[in-house]
Parts: sequence; structure tokens; C-alpha cells
Amino acid sequence: MVMVVEKGKDSDAIWRIDALRKVLKEVHSLFVMFYGSIRAMLEKDPSGGLIRSHLYPFIMDYLSDFPVGKKLQLPSFRDCLKERGTVQMLTMGREAAIEVQSLVSVLDSCAGNSSCYSMILFHDLLVSTTLSPDDTINLFTYAVLRLSPNALSSGVNSWSYIRRGSTSSHFVSGSALTHSGPVSEQIYHSSDTSPVGNNINRVTRALQHGKWYKGKDGFLVTDIWGVDVGSLVCATPTVWLQQTEEAMYLCPYQFKSLTLILLIPVSSILNGEQGVALVKQQLLENASLKILKVEEKLSKGWGGENAYHVSGYRYLLVDGDRNISRASPPGKVTTLAKESLLALSKLRDEVDLEKSRAKRDNAGCEKDLEVSIRAKNNAWAIARITGGKELYMVLEKASETLLYASDAVEKFSNRYCNGAFSLD
Amino acid sequence: MSGKASSSSQPSIGLSGSGALSHIYIQYPPLRCSIPESRGLHYDDGTKLLIPSTSNQIFSWKTVPFNPLATSTSDSIPEGPILSIRFSLDTKLIAIQRSSSEIQFWIRETSEAFSHRCRSDSENILGFFWTDCPLCDFVVVKNSGLDLFAYDSVAKSLDLVEMRKLNVCWYVYTHESRLVLLASGMQCRTFTGFQLSSAGIVRLPKFDMAMAKPEANSKPVLAAEDVYIVTVYGRIYCLQVDRVAMLLHSYRFYRDAVVQQGSLPIYSRKIAVSVVDNVLLVHQIDAKVVILYDIFADSRAPISAPLPLQSRGFPRSYSSSSRSSGKDGECSEVNNKIDHEGIIYGDNWTFIVPDLICDVSNNFLWKIHLDLEAIAASSSETPSVLEFLQRRKLEAIKAKQLCLGIARTVILERRPVSMVSKAIDVLVSSYSLSLKTGSYFKGIKTESTSSGVAKTSVARSSTDVSTSRIDGTSIRHESTAGVDSEYPSRASTFSASESEENASSAPLRTDSRDLQLGGGKVDRVNLTGAHSSGPTDNPVFVNISEQQDSELTSPAISPDEMYKFVFAAVEEEMVGDPSYLVSIIVEFLCSTNMEKIKVHPNLYVLAIQLLARNERYAELESFVTNKILEPSKEVALQLLESGRQNIQTRKLGLEMLRQLSLHHDYVSLLVQDGRYNEALRYARKYQVTTVRPALFLQAACSSNNSQHLAAVLRFFSDFIPDFRTTSDFTTYYGILNEMNTSVAATSF
Repeated sequence: MVMVVEKGKDSDAIWRIDALRKVLKEVHSLFVMFYGSIRAMLEKDPSGGLIRSHLYPFIMDYLSDFPVGKKLQLPSFRDCLKERGTVQMLTMGREAAIEVQSLVSVLDSCAGNSSCYSMILFHDLLVSTTLSPDDTINLFTYAVLRLSPNALSSGVNSWSYIRRGSTSSHFVSGSALTHSGPVSEQIYHSSDTSPVGNNINRVTRALQHGKWYKGKDGFLVTDIWGVDVGSLVCATPTVWLQQTEEAMYLCPYQFKSLTLILLIPVSSILNGEQGVALVKQQLLENASLKILKVEEKLSKGWGGENAYHVSGYRYLLVDGDRNISRASPPGKVTTLAKESLLALSKLRDEVDLEKSRAKRDNAGCEKDLEVSIRAKNNAWAIARITGGKELYMVLEKASETLLYASDAVEKFSNRYCNGAFSLD
Repeated sequence: MSGKASSSSQPSIGLSGSGALSHIYIQYPPLRCSIPESRGLHYDDGTKLLIPSTSNQIFSWKTVPFNPLATSTSDSIPEGPILSIRFSLDTKLIAIQRSSSEIQFWIRETSEAFSHRCRSDSENILGFFWTDCPLCDFVVVKNSGLDLFAYDSVAKSLDLVEMRKLNVCWYVYTHESRLVLLASGMQCRTFTGFQLSSAGIVRLPKFDMAMAKPEANSKPVLAAEDVYIVTVYGRIYCLQVDRVAMLLHSYRFYRDAVVQQGSLPIYSRKIAVSVVDNVLLVHQIDAKVVILYDIFADSRAPISAPLPLQSRGFPRSYSSSSRSSGKDGECSEVNNKIDHEGIIYGDNWTFIVPDLICDVSNNFLWKIHLDLEAIAASSSETPSVLEFLQRRKLEAIKAKQLCLGIARTVILERRPVSMVSKAIDVLVSSYSLSLKTGSYFKGIKTESTSSGVAKTSVARSSTDVSTSRIDGTSIRHESTAGVDSEYPSRASTFSASESEENASSAPLRTDSRDLQLGGGKVDRVNLTGAHSSGPTDNPVFVNISEQQDSELTSPAISPDEMYKFVFAAVEEEMVGDPSYLVSIIVEFLCSTNMEKIKVHPNLYVLAIQLLARNERYAELESFVTNKILEPSKEVALQLLESGRQNIQTRKLGLEMLRQLSLHHDYVSLLVQDGRYNEALRYARKYQVTTVRPALFLQAACSSNNSQHLAAVLRFFSDFIPDFRTTSDFTTYYGILNEMNTSVAATSF
């Protein structure tokens, strides 16, 4: 896959290569999760028609998440305190964690002997997963994009927006995005004209906006995957697990801010939708009380959107081994001066380079790194890498000395990272 | 059931368990108290003595601790009729009722006697008892009321302290409850109660017992043998047989109220009531079955179906090989008598509260035992069985073993996690409760210290109660209306707090000393008694495990024991997917966390092993980062061990060592990993001097980098004084020089 980015005069179009690379990687991973490997599709239809008909609407739907106003806004230097392709975790107390774990064991065993996988989110944060790290990232990304309470409520808006675009076709502008709505809609409609049962030519638009809604039983349903002929219920989506290459039914359940995603092996369910419904029912019977309890415990400990804000600091913490990141809330990052962000973005570019060089030179050995640079506006942009963990930080008030800045990092490390960055 | 497997080393239990279905049993041999020329058999529940008598001699057998081979002591007393006998609580005096108007006192030390007579001829002595009430020592119940006397040991006479005028038809009293109930009225169903406890005298409000009428005009009269005072879980109940309604009504006594608690059905015209280890046994004598109730919560449901009482250990059903040869003579003797011994619920049986049966015609005394194993096996409701077992005190060890066995079984059988979770909850909360009440440590610490602790706390509570009780007695003429008006407000309090014995509702309970005498302490005496008598003397009661920790008074299971006897034991036997056991461990942690109980680190170690075996490393990580597995050195080392297959897990272990400030281990491991530079920095920061420099030097040496080696050498030269004089320095300095020359050589 190749991504072509037009470098405009616009000052916002200052990108970090690695961030763009991650976008490409993300869309690819998501595509593979829903449709299987691209190679297999090409082998099925060497002319490429099949893959193209899938890729086009998929990528268009994916890109529709990037616009700011009418423009497509790819991750720029302003997003240097974010890390795509990582998971954001909820920090919880021991008691809540035990309750969660107790719920997880119920979820994983609710389809009898065949082992299910589960993932639990609270708001947009990951609470627990039994999936492999790669599958976790993919499903987490999808859940935050389309399934979490935030996504569901915002989805309604964007759905109506696209609808408006398609019905009133005079809404035309130069941007790529507004095209994408009607165009993909057309593809979808054209395939939709064929009988429902005939799925050969049908393209499921897995990333289509606003297609998930909450059913009466708390399970989220969508008609993206069509409607089951026999029972006239929406077909349960399926995803492919990267690790086991197994097809799984995707059953999201939502209770208040809690989203549970249950993955049931397709091979374990013989009678299709009926079987899935049975498992769902079982889940409600066995886990309802626990779900209630977990939601209560997590809400009690929930610090709100800005829970992970540390006053005085704008930071990004990445655990490369576990694919986890934590950052200052976006609202707080916007308070930073452009110069500071540009400096950090540049610093990150350099660090990325250094990292890839180290990887090339001797695989397996972790390199420790510490860089502090002073931006034009006298802010400190700091990067530290130790034992697979990365810390990026902008200190705008630390205009004094390097010692001061380094002290601030030390303090942060001791208080919020268990001293991971303060080994000296 | 594996519970059975664990008790297979105890021959007596194994044998008895194989018999017919029953939940309670009497164990051969009985206490024989046959004496020549026996005229009568008496039981004194104050001193718990069984007293057969001849015309001028009385014999007394201790029934607590119950020992069939106990010997009697005898006293010669003046000749005369004996209506009843009661020893004073210090057993120095013997009170003998000679007629309906005379009680004779016999001073055992000096063999002196004095008498007490009613003042008027119209008065009839209905009975009498000794008491430890501070106001008086001796109470005489007459048809005209109560006379309370103090014994003057100098003058050797009784001094009247107080009189309570009342019409009394008959009375019931148990020393255990210190409660005397006086029946009056046409139907003898109106009751006045007094509790003469060590804290003073409490007068209970007057109350009527319920009686159904058979026909419009007939009024049945309540008899003394239809009313029982029982003490269960330290609460005092009165049970009353209503033959017309075929119900057993129960009443619970509070300090200022008597509340009917519901009724139990009866299936026999004749019934008897016993209490064994706080379990209520209702003997349906005609039907020859017994029904068990555990009146702890509000439930009035029987524990299990009615089953007969079983007699165990008779020689004919007992394989003679398992008995010691010394008993053979006795066996043949018994064989002759077996016919009448074998009659269960015979007409000559007298039930003595709480747990004795007296066979009057044979002068046998039987003690009733619960068959915990049979009760546990008869119910499939595991959590409630465990609750029941956790409440048992008499056979705490057996109850504990059964609980452990049940816990193992449910896990091995892979019962639903929700069910196992409930069972674990029961065990954990019971342990937590035993910690709060101190009964768990009572079993572990030495007896003297524990009882000392218990006494001080108990004494405080009893003084509290006594002040309020004195208030109650000072208003002696409180009207019934006054009590009634107080009653509804009370009712709401104790109905809510009934299940747990809340002190604030001030239920009338056996006072603290009595609890010790009749409850916990006796258990301990009982067990230690068996201990001292040795296994050969007492083959029936003693088994090895009981001997080892005979002081155990609570079946509560500590987290350590849960780990050792349940999780570790089960893990060995379990086959297949270990994730089930992980779920169970999580449920256990859930319970312990709720009760704020610490868990043995080995359990965490086990959890790590199980997760690693399944290669669930990502989950293991979340277990550790969320501190579900609390950090400890054991946990860290296991993470390092399991981390051999997974570098992330190893990192977690290292990280934990660092966070626990286990500097030495952390530095050694860093060196081991070849990260000697980092290790040196860390060693300098935390002044870790315990790791040998040679390790660092060796690591640096193996990197084959002369600069590194030089740096390490330099570091130690600065860090450790006199390092330059050690052999390490000279050795590695030599190596460094060699390296440098070889480098120089290759560079040429």
C-alpha cells in the first residue's frame, strides 16, 4: 500500500513520517480484520476487481474520520502528543480490577466449551482484553471509532451529515471527503439492489458511519452485514483474528459507559444467528449482575475526561512493548504554543529515526535515550526512552534551566511512571 | 467425595459412616451409672452431674466432659426419701429435697446437715436450684412464688434475700439459660420469667403461650413437659408443644420482650427436644425419627429430611478386630444386654437438655452426636452446607475438614464458577467473622492467653448489661401496659437485627460466664479431656488429627489453609485447561478483598504459573499491573521464572523487584541480563554494595569490549575503597591489559 500526501504551503501540513505510516498501517490492519488478507482476495479474483470494490469504500469510510471542517486533516505536528496504533488503558483500583477479571471469566466461558475472547472498554479506554496484542489494537481502534458510547452518539451526527450529502447532491465542494460520502453510498446502493441472500457481489462497508445502534437487550446491532434471511434479524458481523486466523462473531454489548465486546468463534456455532442469540442470552443471564457491579465500580473511580491530565505537563507516554500509550487530554494539548509542538514533532522525527537505526543495528537490544531541546519560544521538548518505554514531554513554563526541566521529568517519572524514567 | 478420603485415616468415622442413613447418633459405650440397690436417678444440670441414689448414699458422675469410662464419687447422706438432688455450683453442698415442704442441705466437707422448711403448710416446694446470681445462691420455687436465699457459710444457714409472690402451677428452669419460667393460670399457659444471671435478676414481661382449642368448650392444660428452654447461638428460646395444632411454637426472649418466632410442625404426639452444637433436634418419638433445624437465620426449614437416630459402635455391628483385646470381656457382657440397649426411643428414655439421653431403666447415659459428614452429604446446596458447617463448634476440626473437602470437590468437578464463588464467599466471610470475634485465634494461641483476652472483653460487656438490668429491676412494678408500649418499638429493632446478634437490641442471652461454661469452654475441656485420657482409653472419640490440634474451636479456614489444602491440592489433581482454576482464584481474591483479608503470596505465584502455562501473558500483565496479584518478592521471582518464555513477563518481574526496593536482587538480575552499565548506575544511586564486583567485571569481560571493562574497573576503584588491592582488580586489570594488547595487535 502506498500513501501519497500532497505537501501544501499550509503550515499545518507538517507531518511526522512515522505518524503517517501508522495511519496506513492502521487502515490495512482494520481491512484485514474485516475481510481477511488482501493476498487471498487477489488470489480469488486476480483481476483485482474484488479487492478494489472492497478497498475503495473502506478507505473512504476510514478517511471520513479525519476531516476538520471541510478538509481532510491527516495527523500533523499538532498530533505529536498522540500515538496511533496504541491502546489507551483505564487505570483502576485493585478491587475494580478483580471484579473486572471475574466478569471476564464469565464472558470467556459463556459459549460453553469453545473459548470466546472478550474486550471491555469504559468510555474510550481499555479495561481488559483476552485477545492477542495485535488483535487488541485492531478491535480497540474499531471500538473507539464506531462502538463506544462516544462513537455511537457522534455517529448519529455524521450519519445524518452523509445522508444529507447524498440526498442533496448539489452539496459539492473540492475536498475529497464530501465526494466520498455519495460515491461510496452509490457503491453500496448498487450492490444493495441485488437480493439480500445473494452476498457474492455485496460489499459490506465495515467502517460505514452511524450504522450501529443499541438494541433493547443492550447489544449493539448493525445492518452493515445484511439481514439474516431466516430470522430477519441483522446478521452478526464477523472479524478475523490475526493471531489464530479464526473467524469470530463480533457481539458488542453496552451498559451505560461500559462496552463489552464478545468474540465467539464462528466454528463453534452451528446454527448461525440462532446460536449467536443463544450465547447472547446466556451472557445476559450469567453476567448482568457482574456487569452492573463493574460499571458501578468503574464509574466510582472514573476521573472524567481529564483524569490523566497532569497540570504543568503536556506529555505522551508510550509503552512500546505493550502497545499502550497515555497522553495529556487533547483539550490541554491545544493550549500549547505552535512552536512547542513543532519542536516536539521534530524531536520525535529524530527519535523515530534513531529508533529504527538502533533496531537495524542490533535487534533485541534496547537502547536508552535522553534528548532535551529548547524550542524557539524557550519551551523544553523532551524525549526519554528507557527499557522499551518512551516519554515525550513539552514544558512551556520550564523556561529556566535544563536542570529544572530534567527535575520536572524526574518528578513526573516518580509520581506517574513508577520511576521508570528515573534510573540515574 | 474427597472429604471422605481425607477422613479415611480415622477408622471410627469411616465405619460409622457406612451404616444406615442418619444425621445424629449415640455412640457406644454409654456412661453406665448402675449401682446396687439404686432407688432413683437424678440429674443436676447446674453441675452437670448424673446422680443415682440409694437410701443413704448418692453417687455422682460427671457428664462434662462426657467420658463413658468416668468414675463416680460417692457421698453418704442421712437416710430418707429423695425427691430431687442438686449440688451447689462449687459442689461443696448438696441440697436434697425430702418432702414437699423440706429441703435438707448436706455439707460435704464436714458431713454436717441443716434443713430448710416452708413457713406455712399451704406452701408446696415445686423445686429448687443453685445460682451464681450475685444477689442470692439458692432459689426455691414454691406454688406461692420464688424465695431467693443467700447461703451463709459461717452460720451454715440460708438467709432469705427476697420473695417474689406469684401463683405457680409448675416451672421450668435450665442452668444454661439461667432462666426460670413460672406457669400460672387455668391452662397453665401464662408465664412469668426471671433470669438469674451473674449480672443480676431480670424480670421478663408476662406472656401467654398459644394453644389451639380442640373443641369450643374444652381448654387443654399445658404441662411442664411440653415446654423446653433451649439455648441456641447464645440466644434463649422457649419451645412449646401444642398437641392440638400439632405444632411446636417457639418464643425468643429479649430483655424486655418475648416474641413468638414461628412454629415448627410436629409429627408425633410425643416429642423431645435436644440441642447439639447449636443445632436444634426435635425428636418425633412415636415416629422414631428426628428432625434437625439450624435456627440461625429466619429460616424455619429443616436441615434435611427426618431420619432415625442411630446407635453406633455396638459390638455386633462392630468388627471385633478393630477393637483392642482388652475390651473383650466387656463385649460379652454387653452382648447380653444388647436387646434393651438397642431400643431407640424406648419408653424409658429421658431427654436431658441440651444433648443427653438418660436410659432410666438401665441407668445408661448417652450423648447425642451430630454426624456432620452425613448432614453435609445429604444436601446438594453447597453454599448452605458450608454455612452450616462453618457454624459448628463442637467438632470444629471435622467441620473444617469437611469444608475443605467440599471446596476441593466443587473445584475438581468444575462446577459453575458462580456456585463455587458463593461457596468461597461463605468460607471467607466466616473466616473474617472469626477474626473479628477472635475465635480463630483462640484456637491457635495458647489457651491461657486467649481466655484472658476473652474474659476482659466479656467482662466489659457484662458490666454494660448489668447497669441496664439494674435499671430494669428497680422499676419492679412496671405495668404490663408499659411493657406493651415499649414492645412495638423494640420489635422493629430486633426483627431487623435478628440474624446477627446485635447487642444494641439487647436480646436476652445467656450471660457471658454461662457462655464460657456451657459453650466454648466446655468444648475445649471436652476435647482436652479426650486428649489427656489417651487413645487406648478412649478409642471412640479420639483420632490422631484431633489430638494434634485439639484446641481448635472454630472451623474457619484461613487464606493460607485455603491455598495449601484447596488450591495447591486441587492444582495437582486437575487436568486440562487451567483457566477454570484461574477464574476460581479470581473469585477467591474477590471475596478476600471484600473482607480485607490478606492472601498468601503463594496463591499469586500459583496464579502466575497457571496463566503462564496457558501462555496468557497479556492477561498476566494486566493481573500484575492492576495489582490483582499483589507485589511481593515471591511474585516477582515467579514472574522472572515464567519470564524465561516471555521477555515481557520477565520485565514485569524485574520492575516489581525495583519497585519493592529489593536492590540486591534487582542489581544481580541486571548483571545477569548483561545490563551491567544500568546495574552500576543503579548500584551507585542506591548504594548497593552487596553484589560482588566480580560479577560485573565478568559480564563486562564477556562483552569483549575493553572500554567497558575499563569503565567497570574504574567505577569500582572509585566506588569501593581499597578495591585496587583486591584480587578481582588484579585479575581483571590483567585481562584488560591483555585485551588492549590483542586489540593493538589486530589493529596492526
